[in-house]
Amino acid sequence: MELEEMKTIWGEMSAEIEKQKKLTDSLIIKMTQVNYRSKISKIIVPETIGSLGCMATALFIFINFQQLGNWYLQVCGGASAVVSLLLAVLSLRAVNKLSSINISNNNFKQSLSDYSKGKIQFVFVQKLSFYLGAVLMLTILPVMCKLIDGVDLFKITRLWMGYAVAFPFFYWFTTWVFKRYKKIIQGAENILKELAEA
Amino acid sequence: MNSKEEFIKVIKENAGLIYKVTKVYTNSREDAQDLYQEIVYQLWKSFGSFRSESKISTWMYRIALNTAIVHLNKEKKKGSHLPIDEWLMNKPDLNDTLKEEQVEILYSQIKKLDTIEKGIILLYLDGKSYDEIAGITGFSNTNIGTRLGRIKQKLITQID
Repeated sequence: MELEEMKTIWGEMSAEIEKQKKLTDSLIIKMTQVNYRSKISKIIVPETIGSLGCMATALFIFINFQQLGNWYLQVCGGASAVVSLLLAVLSLRAVNKLSSINISNNNFKQSLSDYSKGKIQFVFVQKLSFYLGAVLMLTILPVMCKLIDGVDLFKITRLWMGYAVAFPFFYWFTTWVFKRYKKIIQGAENILKELAEA
Repeated sequence: MNSKEEFIKVIKENAGLIYKVTKVYTNSREDAQDLYQEIVYQLWKSFGSFRSESKISTWMYRIALNTAIVHLNKEKKKGSHLPIDEWLMNKPDLNDTLKEEQVEILYSQIKKLDTIEKGIILLYLDGKSYDEIAGITGFSNTNIGTRLGRIKQKLITQID
């Protein structure tokens, strides 16, 4: 099939499509309503809630920092607060970058470039968040036990043993998740390479 | 005529354009419905800023293609969507099995192209000039010519 032949078939199909006119006014109005546009909010809402949770955690630790008492709990508390804040900021920035593509003014090339760059940054932040989350998991447990129950976990349990058991699982899980990310990044990088040719 | 009525008129007159972009950039009915709504929503959001210096179809193509890009790779983030029947989305009644088959083959081969190529061939097949394609995509006329040559080769190899 030659390109001109394809164009003819396409033209005939387009002419038939134009005759259909089956969209109703009410359906078009419904489609313009924001509550049906849930795809973007499906990403933004959980990320925002997560970020607010992280900020609240950091604030809680900051307010109660003196109650942590000894140096190692204070180190854990400081690390937890910093990691929580970092997670919140990184996540919000990445989502903002992805959702701020100017659909009405960009041309196709700009949108593709912005989207691919945003995607690479988003995946980078997700990877970073994964590591930061692991650090948070280690540090926040003794801090929260101290602040909520007044218990120093380092004194009553062999906490390090729990960490040693959790590490191989975390390593396996990270490898599995990052394999998926690699594919996404490769796809975005290929598009950027294609665009660079133009 | 108020802006909502005007918008409805524009959408009705160009519904085929949205249908074609949707069809080329999605692989399932559910995704197609979702993208279709998203495109209409984005068009409505930008409708106030549309200047009649450019053709309405050029403006619509620009937004529809940009929306399709952002929609890419989000298939797993399913959301609620209106139950728009595919017929309502202007699926052509060709009344000719052979033609219908040819159209389906054409769509399936276009779907195999990459994101950039899909956009360019869609505009080309819809009769847009090189200048118009350049305006919508941001690629130079020469680059579009080169890419179309490559797409042609790919399609011919795929179909044969």
